[in-house]
Amino acid sequence: MMLRRILLPTILVILAYGFWISPDFKEIAAGVAIFLFGMLSLEEGFKAFSGGTLEKILRNSTDKLYKSIGFGVIATTVMQSSSLVSVLTISFLGAGLIGLAQGIGIVFGANIGTTTGAWLVAGFGLKVKISAYAMPMLVFGVILIFQKAKALKGIGYILAGLGFLFLGIHYMKDGFEAFKSTIDLAAFGGTGIKYLFIFTGIGVFATVVMQSSHATLVLIITALSVGQISYENALALAIGANVGTTITAIIGAMSSNIVGKRLAGAHLIFNLVTGLIAIIFMQQIMYSVDLVSSNVGISNTDYTLKLAVFHTIFNVIGVVVMVPFINKLVIFLEGSLKDTQQKNINDADFDRVKYLNDSVLELPSTAMAAIIRETKHLYENSFEIITHGLNLKRTNIVSSMPLSEVVDDLYSQDAVDIDKFYNNRIKGIYGDIIDFSTRAQSSMSPEDIEVLYQVKLANRDMVEAVKDTKHLQKNLLKYSNSTNKYIKKEYDTIRKDLAELLRNINIIATTSEDDVIILILSKAKIHMEKYDIVANGTLDKLIRNSLVTNEMATSLMNDSAYAYDISKNLLKMARVTFANRESDINSLSDEMTISDEDVDLILEKKDN
Amino acid sequence: MGIKKFIENVKETLGLESSKKESKKKSIKSILKKLNQKKDTVNELLKTKVDKKTKKELEEELQIIHCQIKNGKKVLQKLENKEKD
Repeated sequence: MMLRRILLPTILVILAYGFWISPDFKEIAAGVAIFLFGMLSLEEGFKAFSGGTLEKILRNSTDKLYKSIGFGVIATTVMQSSSLVSVLTISFLGAGLIGLAQGIGIVFGANIGTTTGAWLVAGFGLKVKISAYAMPMLVFGVILIFQKAKALKGIGYILAGLGFLFLGIHYMKDGFEAFKSTIDLAAFGGTGIKYLFIFTGIGVFATVVMQSSHATLVLIITALSVGQISYENALALAIGANVGTTITAIIGAMSSNIVGKRLAGAHLIFNLVTGLIAIIFMQQIMYSVDLVSSNVGISNTDYTLKLAVFHTIFNVIGVVVMVPFINKLVIFLEGSLKDTQQKNINDADFDRVKYLNDSVLELPSTAMAAIIRETKHLYENSFEIITHGLNLKRTNIVSSMPLSEVVDDLYSQDAVDIDKFYNNRIKGIYGDIIDFSTRAQSSMSPEDIEVLYQVKLANRDMVEAVKDTKHLQKNLLKYSNSTNKYIKKEYDTIRKDLAELLRNINIIATTSEDDVIILILSKAKIHMEKYDIVANGTLDKLIRNSLVTNEMATSLMNDSAYAYDISKNLLKMARVTFANRESDINSLSDEMTISDEDVDLILEKKDN
Repeated sequence: MGIKKFIENVKETLGLESSKKESKKKSIKSILKKLNQKKDTVNELLKTKVDKKTKKELEEELQIIHCQIKNGKKVLQKLENKEKD
């Protein structure tokens, strides 16, 4: 913190002094600033398209390690920003949509992808007058930025971003060329191990200051193109830029959640190992660069393109070396960087949110995925307390044990404390889900907000079901042990029906078959009507034949209403929470589940 | 061609996202196919000798399937009508 406080004014003072004594330095610095601004604009543009497509590609292309690496390479190549890819990855990790190993794969791939920047600048940026392309891009870009449509705005930011990138490169190049006439920076360079470390250090420093290895690399290439630095020193600077970018990532991860920290850790280890390999085997890599260059037709004196070859080779070597150790890296990072929030929870009875953190707020789709996952987490806890509240065992519910046996196998002789469980494992999570949803919806589309509203209702339904279980519990325990076999039978029926419902919800939660989900939802809707013991005549029969006391009858009437409410709330919750969001089952389950008229018709037929 | 339409087309060409209506129609058709198969299975089971309780349950399931097929066809019809308009 202290370092940061000193660093900024120091840099500003040095820059101001530099501008004062050298207009050429001012031009180079302005080039870097314009280039960085271009990168920000480019990131903004790609973010506009991250409303679904990008996430869909990421989700579908990270199930295998080679795919994760491939995604990292392609995404970074297209977007020319490894930091945007990192943000996306952290967001997906935070939401639990991908694992740490996949995240590391993406970061490794992004390291290779980022080398394409050097190729573009060295192969295209310096060979043509790119400022000629920059101007129209900026004009068209800015016009599009002012449009209302999100897609047009996104394209505008991308165009303007590219325009600024090109303009930045142009200024850097011009600045270095002019700088050459006043001072020859190459004179400060040299060869040997000493200069290798010095220039690696300068590369690290420059990247930390500019917060972008891409910008450092472009600066190196432009300086190299006008002969302001030697080829060997440029290679050392490129190694430094790679190491420096991890420091940027670590600074960013300090304010991030645990997944961000672990990913930054992986990034640091990767770049340190890669940098070390590059320094140790510098001569061999340089030989490989010459070999590759001559084979692909790059002239021996085209140092900028040779630098691009070097950058690619040493990053590819890093990935090849590190890939076999990814699983060990995951174990190491998970072991050494522990979740402090989880660590502080010493009480085993206490539970907090698992998936809701600021990193998932980066994208609406990851925020939604995290909220749905958290809702499922809340259901796991609700399922536990409802089952125990009904004096049933969870293992029996999810098994294929006949329901009559499930009801007979009691969980406990004493009543479980639903209030304590609610306060420790439901209330906090529920509150956090609602609070987080409110924050998340500010960046969501109206359609997403509607879905989020349904998810919030599902959470409320779940909490209501837990509360109703608490009301039901008292008489359930009392009459389940009653000597009056009629009232005992009625309460056991309530337990059996709710056990069946919980079993069906478990099927809905674990199946991917749309027809099974719709069929179960319809069946449950019919069975729910059975709880209405006033309508189906059960209560009348019991009272008329004096089989239960008045007190028993009143309790039964109230409790069957609670059972009905529990079923209704859990069913509504299951439809929203467990139906696959990727398929159309969500909207279809509404339209295809049988209507109230159908239910009446089926029940009438049954009675007849 | 509008920009939105262009993006939709690219998504479709790349197989990233088929148009919403098409995807919904496909889903309904697939569910209807599965429900018809299930209906045949239940009918077959009803022809075999089953106890009274199972028979009652199977009959109830058959009625539910009938209602769902009816509802599914209605939704499909609606979508097709919209397409014609």
